[in-house]
Amino acid sequence: MATRSTDIARVKPPSRWRLFLGSLSGAGAVVLRDPYALIGTSVYLVFVLIAIFADRLAPYDPLEILFTPDGNLAADLTPSAAHPLGTTNLGRDIYSQLLYGTRSALLVGVTAAFFVVAIGTVVGLVAGYFGGWVDTVLMRLADIAFGIPFLPFVIVLAAFLEPSVWNVVLAMALILWRDTGRVIRSQVLTVRERSFIEAARVSGSSTPRIIFLHIAPNILPLSFLYGSIAVGWAILTEASISFLGFGDANVISWGYMLQDAFVSQALSRGAYYWFVPPGLAIVLVVVAGFFISRGYEELLFPRLTEE
Amino acid sequence: MILAIEDLQVHYRSQRGVVHAVDGADLVVPTGKILGLVGESGCGKTTLARAVMGVLPKNARLAGGEIHFDGRELLSQGDSAWRKLRWREVAFIPQSAMNSLDPVYRVGDQLIEVLIRRGAYSRQQAAKRSLELFRLVGMDPARLRDYPHQFSGGMRQRTAIALALALEPKLIIADEPVTALDVIVQRQILDTLKDLQRQLGLSVLLVTHDISVVAYVCDQVAVMYAGRVVESGKASVVLTRPYHPYTMGLTMLSPISNAPKGSSRL
Amino acid sequence: MAGLTRITSRLAQMLFVLWAVATILFFIFRLAPGTPLAAYIEPTFTEEQQQALLQRFGLDKPLYVQYGIYLRNLVRGDLGDSFTLNDSVASVIGDVFPYTIALTLISLLVAYLIGVLMGAVLAWKRGTWLEGWSIPLVLTTRAAPEFWLGMLLMALLSFNLGWFPAGGAVSAGAEFSSEWARFFSLDFLKHLFLPALTLAIYLHGLPLLLMRSNMLEVMQEDFVTMARMKGLSSWTIMVRHAARNALLPVATAFALGIGYSIGGNVVIETVFSWPGLGRMLVRAVAANDYPLAQGAFLVIAAVMILMNFVADLLYSSLDPRVSSGHAKH
Repeated sequence: MATRSTDIARVKPPSRWRLFLGSLSGAGAVVLRDPYALIGTSVYLVFVLIAIFADRLAPYDPLEILFTPDGNLAADLTPSAAHPLGTTNLGRDIYSQLLYGTRSALLVGVTAAFFVVAIGTVVGLVAGYFGGWVDTVLMRLADIAFGIPFLPFVIVLAAFLEPSVWNVVLAMALILWRDTGRVIRSQVLTVRERSFIEAARVSGSSTPRIIFLHIAPNILPLSFLYGSIAVGWAILTEASISFLGFGDANVISWGYMLQDAFVSQALSRGAYYWFVPPGLAIVLVVVAGFFISRGYEELLFPRLTEE
Repeated sequence: MILAIEDLQVHYRSQRGVVHAVDGADLVVPTGKILGLVGESGCGKTTLARAVMGVLPKNARLAGGEIHFDGRELLSQGDSAWRKLRWREVAFIPQSAMNSLDPVYRVGDQLIEVLIRRGAYSRQQAAKRSLELFRLVGMDPARLRDYPHQFSGGMRQRTAIALALALEPKLIIADEPVTALDVIVQRQILDTLKDLQRQLGLSVLLVTHDISVVAYVCDQVAVMYAGRVVESGKASVVLTRPYHPYTMGLTMLSPISNAPKGSSRL
Repeated sequence: MAGLTRITSRLAQMLFVLWAVATILFFIFRLAPGTPLAAYIEPTFTEEQQQALLQRFGLDKPLYVQYGIYLRNLVRGDLGDSFTLNDSVASVIGDVFPYTIALTLISLLVAYLIGVLMGAVLAWKRGTWLEGWSIPLVLTTRAAPEFWLGMLLMALLSFNLGWFPAGGAVSAGAEFSSEWARFFSLDFLKHLFLPALTLAIYLHGLPLLLMRSNMLEVMQEDFVTMARMKGLSSWTIMVRHAARNALLPVATAFALGIGYSIGGNVVIETVFSWPGLGRMLVRAVAANDYPLAQGAFLVIAAVMILMNFVADLLYSSLDPRVSSGHAKH
């Protein structure tokens, strides 16, 4: 077969941007084939919709103190038609709070996860690909990040900064990139040694091209895997921080609801309708994240089919 | 004869449906002789070898035929009866001894384990016997204290042979025992095997894809293709005057001379 | 010899991280609202007290001198004095530390024992209906906020059924002959039960999933097939060979788990009013007691860094492939 060298020379290689998007969408689409990932993604979608339409879906303003028709405080009401999940000890509608809570949960979750994964991936890529002193410096930084206890760090940060949901995002961005960074780096090291990379380098491919076209497809699924788990971690962390009283009191979050319930003695009064739903909501979102990550896990480490 | 296989069927359940890995194979290993079972990858020879041991993967099934070992029929007995035979009467030398030894135990301890748990040896007797076994396969007994990862490929294979001989079985099944080794070490291991077989009067079923190995070591040969044995007989005869076209193909592609078994031609 | 170099380099790494974290802490606490001195001096201190502190921490000297004094004090174990409690930080921490250790170790031990056993069982029973519902259940325990689990258990078992106390480590007014007697008293154990149970439920998922996945991998290994060929009993194969290999990463995870738990138990200690280090940190931060907060954080970090090092040692000493070096021919 004669090589059509002139044809090949005329073909324009895809732009770097196209390559990058290609590998992103490739990683995204494949996941949906896995039933678990599909369930997880659907749950996420439901939560996103709730977050967007919370103001339409919620019967009341979550922070509004309500009164019964005969002028009394609508406090500690058990679930009823008017209040599907009852009210707090201050007369606020729990169901509305739960719905509005999706907003801060998803906002914090997705933003934090994005930063954690973005930083971790970049660090891992750079350290793994370039090696040498760059690698050493970055890995020492990772060591230090591993030496900082995460929750205590967020607490200390909360001591010095204004209470805000963004404290969690900042803390996660500063510390939690460490896992992703190390794992991506070792994946890059493996891929880097493969002969097709050597071939690309020898034939004069530029460094960014090698990274985007050859290495990225092998590591992006890993990034997405960590990303889907990181969302859950962020939500859990935010809940813990709010529960400890360091959260923003003006933002309704599930953690805030749990703290509110706890300090209002809801436990001793057996007001399960107050403190069970927010926890369940958290569980649902985090498990959905696990399910999505399973899709990527299947992609990366396919279960050996019995031959 | 120590082993006679009749019309053996072994089926695998796979994603592509049922695969007849062994599809009506007949085989005889005469007592005290080495039979080479030769064929290309995927012809079912390893499956057949494992079937004689009764240790197949979870998705495999013994679907038919008979295996007569030392007067007993194996397929009709239960697994617990089969387990009693394993290693004591028929032992197995695996393809690549790389992973066939547990990495967290010393080599000597793995020999002793088999001797104590499957043989009637006491700890002291087992320790003595493992020294003997190592010497038998040409290994320095001091290395019994080492871990498997500290051995070279050849050393691990010798260990596998020592393990196989531990309980003085009647039949040894060797599945591609030298494939993973370099040529010089291959020759050494095969020589060791030949010597041991002569010394101890072992019967050996040697599975291989390499016809030159068969030429070097085996008395008898059986040629396997697509789950069936297509030709068998004395090695000197089959290899020089093959009858089946597949055998012809095999012999033509390999650099073996017309000299009978025993000459050093590899 | 290769082993010794490895240990020394890991030790050096540990010391480096300790130093780095202490330094970061030094600078963070200088960012305390108000003057940098606010980390050490409260406005309510008398003139003499303030002078004494100025001396002790060199607060009137340039930054690098203060940093030197800070490091020197750390090495000597001087973490300053608490603002809110009339005691040195080191002493306060020393009082609460045993409670955190007791809670952490007991919860982890229970969690790992249960997790490892169930993980092995689940690997053994692969593909059965048991696996079908137990894995999602385990995932749920890992997805739930641990303090929420604590709240549920407290509401059910303490307030509702009255089986266990609702907080604290010992009943008010309880007397004990000695510290040891206190820790082994029934009263203490009753108080320990709920927080430990909560943590065990939350923490067992990791060893369970890890053990299961390791077992499944190991069961595919050639030496397990060979063990079957040798005619060894199922018990021997599962326990002596498969489990023994599968446990290596779990042991490392346990050591790491101690490190993470020390810091992570903050919320559980808060829910159950458990007088441990985490709760101390939260109260110190809430009360702007900077020396105490700094000291508590440092101790938590130090334990974590130490356990990372221990985990590394464990890994290399338990796996003969790592501890006995290269192949010899």
